[in-house]
Amino acid sequence: MTKENAAAKQSIIEIFTDKIKGRNLSVVLPEGRDPRIIEAAHQIKEAGIAVPIILGKSEQVEAAAQEAGIDLAGMTVIDPRDSDRLDDYAAMYVGDREDISQGVARRMVSKAVFFGGMMVKAGDADVMVAGAASATATVIQAGSLTVGLASGIDTVSSYFLMIIPEFQGETDKPFIYADCAVNIDPTAEQLADIAMASGQSAKCLLTDTPRVAMLSYSTRGSAAGPSAEKVLDALRIVREKAPQLAVDGEFQADSAIIARVAAKKVKDESAVAGQANVLIFPDLDAGNIAYKLTQYMANAKAIGPFLQGFAKPIADLSRGASVSDIVTTSIITLALVPSAD
Amino acid sequence: MSDVERRIKEVVARTLKIDVGRMTDESRFVEDLGAESIQSVELVAAFEEEFDIEMDDEEALEVKTVGKAIEFISKLL
Repeated sequence: MTKENAAAKQSIIEIFTDKIKGRNLSVVLPEGRDPRIIEAAHQIKEAGIAVPIILGKSEQVEAAAQEAGIDLAGMTVIDPRDSDRLDDYAAMYVGDREDISQGVARRMVSKAVFFGGMMVKAGDADVMVAGAASATATVIQAGSLTVGLASGIDTVSSYFLMIIPEFQGETDKPFIYADCAVNIDPTAEQLADIAMASGQSAKCLLTDTPRVAMLSYSTRGSAAGPSAEKVLDALRIVREKAPQLAVDGEFQADSAIIARVAAKKVKDESAVAGQANVLIFPDLDAGNIAYKLTQYMANAKAIGPFLQGFAKPIADLSRGASVSDIVTTSIITLALVPSAD
Repeated sequence: MSDVERRIKEVVARTLKIDVGRMTDESRFVEDLGAESIQSVELVAAFEEEFDIEMDDEEALEVKTVGKAIEFISKLL
């Protein structure tokens, strides 16, 4: 990462930090057995970003704190097994999955990642950031079984926040790219879910109005084929389910983001063509390749991937996440909490 | 069939809503017994509740067949 690029990342993270400071939000970190988590929690607390809540077995959290060289005094640490909220959470869990016994539910929610999810569901924490020591599948499972999916959404997906150092005369231009990490070959319905969830994420993270482009190798029927058809089907579903969202397609990438090209290729009126800031790729091949090419060829900052589609913000870290990655992810996830006003 | 084996098979049958008779030691939870990913976490919790044990999440992920579950849980008892 170049110096300029690091600065670009810095500035957008600072904007989010300012947005969430003073709102007294809390982030639950269920992997308190990991020293990186303790260090990140310490930084989140010291910088006044949010209230960190560390979960884990007391003896493991203490050992991790010792390894990180951090004093836990003044930090909220909860051992789910001893929590007085366990029965309430178990009851809430049974409420959603009635064929499970209270005893089994209690076992479920005493697992830290599930306990953390129940805290968010119950409003005892605002967001959960996990995955430094758990598989992505576990975090998705825990999110789905606790906070559940957002209304009207049936698919968990992911996005990257891409910061382009120089784009058509603009500096540090942010884009949302999705899905670049989770759904391999989404159906039209899943693609529609990805577009709607991305629109929602963009609303929280971008200063400009989200303009969602459904990308393809074809622009307005310029080339036919099953994949372009799928993108069009997805567009129809989004328009029906989220009529207020500025979404259009199918567009080639240039028609989506370059006004000059859009003027030539998209003859009818469009609120998106040539000015899209949310790019929805037809499948994981396209999405993953696009984000990596943008990252390296345009020297862009790729922040993510972040999960989306849950009823409340849940983030998945990569196992190799650094302390700074954990803090950054926490800040962006907290920025997704809707303001009270 | 040992007592542990019988109880494990009953828990699997109850959680996955299948017949005990369908299971052999080689039966894989996901491929053969049709466990969805959500059910596999609940299956671990159901084993913990039945035997009052604690299964490590990562280790539990490696328990993919009925036979492995019997072996793994027997060691914890």
